[in-house]
Amino acid sequence: METSSKNRAVTNLEKPAVLVELKDLNKVFVTDEVETKALNNINLSIVAGEYLAITGPSGCGKSTLLSLLGLLDTPSSGQYQLAGHHTASIDKDERARIRNKEIGFIFQSFNLISDLTVAENIALPLTYRTDLSHRQRQQMVLASLEKVDLTHRAGHYPSQLSGGQQQRVAVARAIAGKPAIILADEPTGNLDSNNAEAVMTLLDELHHDGATICMVTHDLASAARSQRIIKVFDGQLIADKPTSDNATINSTLIETSAVAV
Amino acid sequence: MSLGIDITYAARLLLKKPVFTLTSVLIVAIGLGLTLYTYSLLSQLIFTPLTLNSDTPLIAIEGEFNDAHGRGQGADPYHLNQIKAESELLQGMSLYLSIVRTISGVSLEVGSRKVHLTYGEWDFFEVAGVQPILGRGFNPQDSDSGAEPVIVLSHDIWQSLFSGNYDIIGTMVQVEAMSKRVIGVMPEGFAFPAIAQIWLPFPADRVNATQASNDNERRAFGRLKPDVSLVQFQQEARGILHRHFQALTQEFSWRAASPGGYIRAFPYKLTNEAVNHHYSVFVAMFIVVLLILLLTCINLGNLLLARVNERIKEVAIRIALGIPRKRLVLQMLWESIFICCLGGFVAFFLASWSVDATNSAFDQIFAVNGERPFWWQLSLAADAMIVLLIALLFMVLLTGLLPAWRALSADFNAVLRDGTRGALGQKAGRANKALVVTEITLSCVVLVVATMLLCSSYSAQKADYGVDTDNRITAAVRLSWGSYPWNDGAPEARKKRNDFYYRLKDELQQRPNIHSLAYFSSLPGTGGGSSHFEIQGKAAAVFNENPMWNFEVVSRDAWRTVGMKIIEGRDFTLSDLGGDLANTESPVIINAAMARDLFPNGDAIGQRVRTIDGEGFQTEWRSIIGIVSDSVHGSTMASTSAQHTGYGMMDRHRWGVNIVIHYSGTQSQAETALIQAIKSMDADVTIYHLQSYDNLIAQPMLLVNAVNNIFLWCGLVALVLAASGIYAVAANSIALRSQEIATRRALGASNSQVIKLFLGQAGIQLIVGLTLGISLSLCLVSQLTESMVIASSSYMIGLVGIPIFIIAMVLIATYIPSNKIIKQEPSEGLRQL
Repeated sequence: METSSKNRAVTNLEKPAVLVELKDLNKVFVTDEVETKALNNINLSIVAGEYLAITGPSGCGKSTLLSLLGLLDTPSSGQYQLAGHHTASIDKDERARIRNKEIGFIFQSFNLISDLTVAENIALPLTYRTDLSHRQRQQMVLASLEKVDLTHRAGHYPSQLSGGQQQRVAVARAIAGKPAIILADEPTGNLDSNNAEAVMTLLDELHHDGATICMVTHDLASAARSQRIIKVFDGQLIADKPTSDNATINSTLIETSAVAV
Repeated sequence: MSLGIDITYAARLLLKKPVFTLTSVLIVAIGLGLTLYTYSLLSQLIFTPLTLNSDTPLIAIEGEFNDAHGRGQGADPYHLNQIKAESELLQGMSLYLSIVRTISGVSLEVGSRKVHLTYGEWDFFEVAGVQPILGRGFNPQDSDSGAEPVIVLSHDIWQSLFSGNYDIIGTMVQVEAMSKRVIGVMPEGFAFPAIAQIWLPFPADRVNATQASNDNERRAFGRLKPDVSLVQFQQEARGILHRHFQALTQEFSWRAASPGGYIRAFPYKLTNEAVNHHYSVFVAMFIVVLLILLLTCINLGNLLLARVNERIKEVAIRIALGIPRKRLVLQMLWESIFICCLGGFVAFFLASWSVDATNSAFDQIFAVNGERPFWWQLSLAADAMIVLLIALLFMVLLTGLLPAWRALSADFNAVLRDGTRGALGQKAGRANKALVVTEITLSCVVLVVATMLLCSSYSAQKADYGVDTDNRITAAVRLSWGSYPWNDGAPEARKKRNDFYYRLKDELQQRPNIHSLAYFSSLPGTGGGSSHFEIQGKAAAVFNENPMWNFEVVSRDAWRTVGMKIIEGRDFTLSDLGGDLANTESPVIINAAMARDLFPNGDAIGQRVRTIDGEGFQTEWRSIIGIVSDSVHGSTMASTSAQHTGYGMMDRHRWGVNIVIHYSGTQSQAETALIQAIKSMDADVTIYHLQSYDNLIAQPMLLVNAVNNIFLWCGLVALVLAASGIYAVAANSIALRSQEIATRRALGASNSQVIKLFLGQAGIQLIVGLTLGISLSLCLVSQLTESMVIASSSYMIGLVGIPIFIIAMVLIATYIPSNKIIKQEPSEGLRQL
């Protein structure tokens, strides 16, 4: 199961740059006068090129954490620095610009737009950039399609693809703009084992090529392919271990598994 | 058991959302109420055949339609009798002639009174299918030459003039100062052919024509045999006439070539001029109301669709638990049934109220002239209830099945698996876009047509008729034939009539509160209808290439009374009235527009003109002696209104005239002075339609205004439905795309880019919807221009203002929900149920 890419990535980080830094991050949801503390004093750093898995039982706050990392939501308190940007003080348009340039998203339910073709879906984040020409966008889309081996499906609509193919399109869309970090939310949650393996292999390859990946997953095997596993429980970060430590990883995964069940 | 559970559940859901329930019920009530009311109005005024105590319809058999005058003509009794004798498809047919006459000799208090008289053949009441409630109808002997003159009274006249006296039969009354014996009283409400108040038998020699003649004033009605259609009879009548036309002399040969058919047969209710003239307006109203019903259905369907989208997960769970499709559809239908039935109930009361209001409006409209056809008494009849039930059923099915289809077509596996709204497929997306386009199209048509009609009506009310109407009263004057015979214009007969008119003028003008008095055959603002005329020496090769004018007659010294003035030449004088009409040049005064348009060299004075028609008819040559300031004859909203008018001298013609008086002080003082002066001069002279000049001008507009009020309501309803509908459809459509919006924002779309995207899509829907809407509106409006003048300013407001308004409405309806959705964090959209 272990891949050489993981070791290569670690050894390449001779002087790792901190890409993500969370300090005392909190998120509270208020509905009908009921306060729910989704995240509680989260402190976390992710360095460039890292492959990170966030695990935990349902409702523990891992997806909320991913939303905050992806600037899809704002924290109730605490600090979040992404690629040098202090995110607390920026407006919505700037957040959109950072999401567009620095972050690539892969969702569990793919979230492809049914009215757009595969190529148009992949080009979507690029169309929000003003610094790219039409030709450059086309080249980037083509490169992404080649990466996920779907060049022949460029003109198809999402409904004409299998689930695995749709998720590969989502991966291609996430990497098309060469983001600083890829955030994947249960990327194999809606896939069968064969397609799940194909997508995970794709993520491994991306990491091998230097991408920073942060993945939320329930799947133990998928988590085990990362370099580092973060465990969240009741909104708190209760474990943060590298997967190179086999003993540690096994105990973390077993604990996660037990809680999840 | 399960039925009870479903009904309780549907009721509970509706009670849980009172705003939704109330909005839906109101939408249904307004849409159905308007439909029910319009159906009742149009079916009773126009579309339901008049049957009168029988199962088979009555039809009208009349002369050709005169476009220039906007009304149907009478026909030669010679041809009508040929149809009557040879038709095998009619149960019966009877000829008649309706005119205005006076009745007197009732009492000193009543004096003489104007009545609507109908001459009918002896079988008139038999064919109509109604017999008197007192006495008898006509028999063949009543038409014989030398028979005692007899009369049948309407229930209304019997009650109002004779206090319902049961001994009325056998008494004598004076009609046009000639005695008639009362032989019958008709049932209450019967005024056939339309507004008749008394009936006299046609003398046999006036209907039994033995050869073709220019006597073109008879009309007829017939009753079809069972299972015979109007079309079948029309074919039969054409065949009969075709055979007889072959034998016509050259003088009448044009009848065979008459483009609309010299004699036409059509549904009886279309004999009403207002209906006939505004037929396209009524049809437009019907179309507009159908469009509103469609808008209502779309809006309600959309509301229910939005609810299904809210409840999509609940529906998914039910399907997962194994609910049969049929039961799911039934559950969806129950909500629709509740809403539609409640709405239908409210609609019934709305329609009832509108029907009562319309009857009151008719009372007001016809208060002065009494020309309300007897079938113009609206009610919510049984057929209207059937229409309500059918409309309800249609609405229940449409608004219930649409959400059911949506519920059944969603990807429930996806809904249950990830709890997202990602189930909005391409089909549903396209359906939403189609809904928005349909809303735009329908609201555009309804609003454009309603706005243009309202603007035209407003312009007509503000129109300058070229006359002063302040402190003027008008009335129609009728000199009875018995006392004032015309005798083909014999000098002594003319003198007697003219002496009365001018003595009355002199008498009243001596009073301090009366400034002046004049007589017009039709006063400016009324009348209208044009005929061709020929300028001597400039006759066109074909008669209908000659110019057209409206010809009226006026008294001497008439102009100042209505604020008009001679601007060139001279007024009529006594010297224009020679002892022998045939040897005196007939003078005519034309209006300035006619002089300017037809005599651009300024040489109108001295030219000679005469009225002509395509049937060989021509008047005497008339010399233009003066040019008078412009006025408009006919309502400015009527397509038959005339801009070019020639005025002949009243003293030379036997036409009935209207009086106009310029007064100071109060209107009632002036009216009293007029009534007293006439009574003191001749108690048998009748004046009627006594009213202010402003009221007279408003008369032809009253019905159109009433119709426009309905259009105004349609427009307002359409506006509310369109605004709420477009907003709801747009909001629902955007809500369904909340996950897509969140995805786009996650991928880096800024808020302005998201809004731009939706506004852009709304723009495309606007282009498609408005293109369709404006095209359909133009088609409808072009139909309307056949019967009324659409003010040019209304084109600008209707075709530019309304689209701009709709554009603004759609953009706002798109912007508000888009803006609302981008105020959420993208994460909310991504995890939204």
